[in-house]
Amino acid sequence: MMQIRQLTRSFATATTTTTSNIPIKSSLILSRTPIVTQDISEFEKLFYNYQEELERRLMWTFPKWFYFKKGTVAEREFSEAQNYPIPNARGVWFPQGNPDLKHGRDRRFKQEVILPKKHIESDNNNKEEDSDNDFDNVGRPIRANSRITKFDKENDQTSLERKLPRTLYLLVNQNGNWKFPSFNVLSENENSGLHKIAEDGLRIIGGDKINTWSVSNSPAAVIKYDSNNKIIHNTDNNDQLITREFLIKSHIIAGKFDLQKSNNSVSDFKWLVKEEIKDLVDISYYSKIDHLLSDI
Amino acid sequence: MFTVRSTVKTITAHVKPTQQLRYKRDKAGLNPQLERIVNQLSVMSAARKQPRLLKLCDEDYIKHRTVMKAWSLYRKNKIEHNESLLEKQYQSMNEAAAELQSINPKLYEIANEHQFGKRFPLEIRTPTDFPPRQIWFYDYFPKVDGSKQQ
Repeated sequence: MMQIRQLTRSFATATTTTTSNIPIKSSLILSRTPIVTQDISEFEKLFYNYQEELERRLMWTFPKWFYFKKGTVAEREFSEAQNYPIPNARGVWFPQGNPDLKHGRDRRFKQEVILPKKHIESDNNNKEEDSDNDFDNVGRPIRANSRITKFDKENDQTSLERKLPRTLYLLVNQNGNWKFPSFNVLSENENSGLHKIAEDGLRIIGGDKINTWSVSNSPAAVIKYDSNNKIIHNTDNNDQLITREFLIKSHIIAGKFDLQKSNNSVSDFKWLVKEEIKDLVDISYYSKIDHLLSDI
Repeated sequence: MFTVRSTVKTITAHVKPTQQLRYKRDKAGLNPQLERIVNQLSVMSAARKQPRLLKLCDEDYIKHRTVMKAWSLYRKNKIEHNESLLEKQYQSMNEAAAELQSINPKLYEIANEHQFGKRFPLEIRTPTDFPPRQIWFYDYFPKVDGSKQQ
């Protein structure tokens, strides 16, 4: 049985060895995934605010007696922090209708639960800054880092630390064209596969101090060029002169793309988001890669 | 009318207090254990905690309907856009695979090999609301291939 199988396999390889010399290229779409969460649009912001207000209006009254035992210091601090509404009283005219208080909440409106401040912030500003940078100090105030980095302000497009909520893509200026880095598939390196050729080529032009993770062995798209390096859109002609460029997707995880001086074909590189790519590359090239790039 | 307090009183009338009391507390209310049960049940009951019913006038109701409709349209467009993107990506993958198979079956075979043990890398970050102090790790050195790697 095994022999038969081997026999059929050998026949299979025999047929596949008749590959022609059609020029093939392997291209790498190297992306940096978002580091911070997506920015929400103005409409989404407004809608979420509306929903939250509705939810708060329809909220049950906060059961203070459950969380704070009567007569404790915590209960007193909590009670002091609240803004209690004015209760209804006979003979008093309320222009916005009579208050309807239950458990210290006006049931006609939302309840605002205010938490008492635990620690008093120091008045001295210098002292605060000192304690901010003192990472050994566990009691330092918690402050979130900015979502906009200095590279955003400088608009340094070669930096990996720009546009944190978006996916960045590596584009190189290869032989005068801005595109994803692409590499020739030669007969000697054909055995390693398209993904390996693309990953190895990236290390030749960008140094090997880069950690990448290719999404798949198989290509995400194909772009065809004619002999004049123009993109062909129709798929009928099976010409020997047509160059086929296969796009492989990959993520950068660590390290950096460091342009090697020894390489002549690549002169420049940029880390860009989708909209910036649209402005930079050829329209015909962009139409081929448009759907492969993330909107986020 | 049943209140939480009265029902608990009738159900648990036979439960004896475990805590030793100096004086008889018949009139002082429930014992501490029952008090706690009443407290916990009262959190779940709607009595005296529900807000007034929200009554919208016609204009406000139309506004509310408009907002919800706009949101559903926005969501629908977004989902449809994503679906069309996925469809296009699938088509282009298909096209690339067919092309590769026709021009170079060997590369096609390598491209379709099953990748055993392929996992998403642990080093990759999940997006957070705010960036870390060190945003990117630059000092990466490639692993020296040991006996495990080919």
